[in-house]
Amino acid sequence: MSGRSLDHTVQAFEFIEELDRLATPQAIIDAMERSFAQYGFENFIMTGLPHPEQRIEGLVLLKKWPLGWYERYTRNSYDRHDPVIHLCRRTVQPFEWGEARYDPDTNPKGQEIMQGAADFGMRQGYCLPIHGLNGFEACLSMSGPDLDLTPQTKPAIHLMAMYAFERARLVLAPAPRPNPLTNREREALRWAALGKSAADTGEILGVTERTITAHIGSACAKLTAANKTHAVARALQHRLIEI
Amino acid sequence: MTSIHVITDKNKAGYETILDEYFRLRHDIFVGERGWRDLERPDRRDMDAYDNEQATYLVALDGGRVIGGLRLYPTLLPHMISEAFAHLIRGRDVLSGSTILECTRYFIVRERRMGRTDCRLLAAFQQFCLEEGITEVTAVVEMWRLPRWQQAGFKVRPLGLPTMVEGQTCIAAAIQISDDSLRHVSRLAGLRGSCLVRGTGVSNLVDRVPHVAA
Repeated sequence: MSGRSLDHTVQAFEFIEELDRLATPQAIIDAMERSFAQYGFENFIMTGLPHPEQRIEGLVLLKKWPLGWYERYTRNSYDRHDPVIHLCRRTVQPFEWGEARYDPDTNPKGQEIMQGAADFGMRQGYCLPIHGLNGFEACLSMSGPDLDLTPQTKPAIHLMAMYAFERARLVLAPAPRPNPLTNREREALRWAALGKSAADTGEILGVTERTITAHIGSACAKLTAANKTHAVARALQHRLIEI
Repeated sequence: MTSIHVITDKNKAGYETILDEYFRLRHDIFVGERGWRDLERPDRRDMDAYDNEQATYLVALDGGRVIGGLRLYPTLLPHMISEAFAHLIRGRDVLSGSTILECTRYFIVRERRMGRTDCRLLAAFQQFCLEEGITEVTAVVEMWRLPRWQQAGFKVRPLGLPTMVEGQTCIAAAIQISDDSLRHVSRLAGLRGSCLVRGTGVSNLVDRVPHVAA
């Protein structure tokens, strides 16, 4: 191990020890600002990932973002199209913003969002997805004009980000948000995702077709989905069900 | 209702069928699902050098079927971290002691991963360790799983930096055993009492169930 990577280890462990003593969101923001600056990070946001019926503003744990960018981002509901958020839902590994690919044909706003961020000095980024209990999904996304992301620095950044997130969650939002679907609704959607009709599912679960249709109906309402297919797609996308 | 059974060298005779299913599931999950090819065995049972008389298993059962489990092993003996993962520890300073165990082979079967089984097993784990006077448990865990433990109310301290193991970014960490953590995770698991069972076996459980139900 080189001297330099030993430094990264020491700094990461010192940061984690420091976090334990921090009791307010502002203290966490200040500590993150100091410790992540050495890797070139200037901005960061910690936020839950919204379910279909939620807005991102209500889920932000803490942030150090240019105000103009935050206003533009929330006003335009960019989280619905943000390639970084999309990748967060699909991976458990941290990634660089550049790895969050998007197809300009199907997601024309992707380009607008990434360019907009760059205009605010957020040219490069590193994002840590969090997949917690009961379908709780969140991320810590950090950025700057010129980042020091190498195989030597990334493990330290990964660990620091994970513990910064946990500290903020403890200080701000004690409990993960529960899955809005009941067990029966989830079960009905899972079978639908596997190609079963309501009648099939009723037979499998030993209840009537009408009961299954009712479960699907209430799941649709909770997910603001137009129909069963839409509900299945949303439930999978938001990891409310697994197949 | 899920219950978590403690299986050791002393009572394993009563759990013969359960243990066989447990080792088969471990093979399914760690070799089949996670792709740890080194563990592959022709009898499709995952057993290694630490599956010996020193190991304690916490096995989650529902209706006589295995739905999850974990293995605990004394850190005063050569254990997985000291023998295979010392490079994950900062300064290679492996944590060991009479009140410290190592946890390995943690799993929940696929169809039970969305529910409360995870929290039940974690609650039983805290309770068992508290009852045994254990203070800390070390483990190598995938980084993505760490927030789940933290959200379950576990205090987890890192023992080194994240490192790639079998294609996954993992970390060596120590879980603190405490009443607070047990209370928090029991609440999440929807438990009012204990789900930990210290028995002599369940070999007849499957036969007994219909009579009990009737």
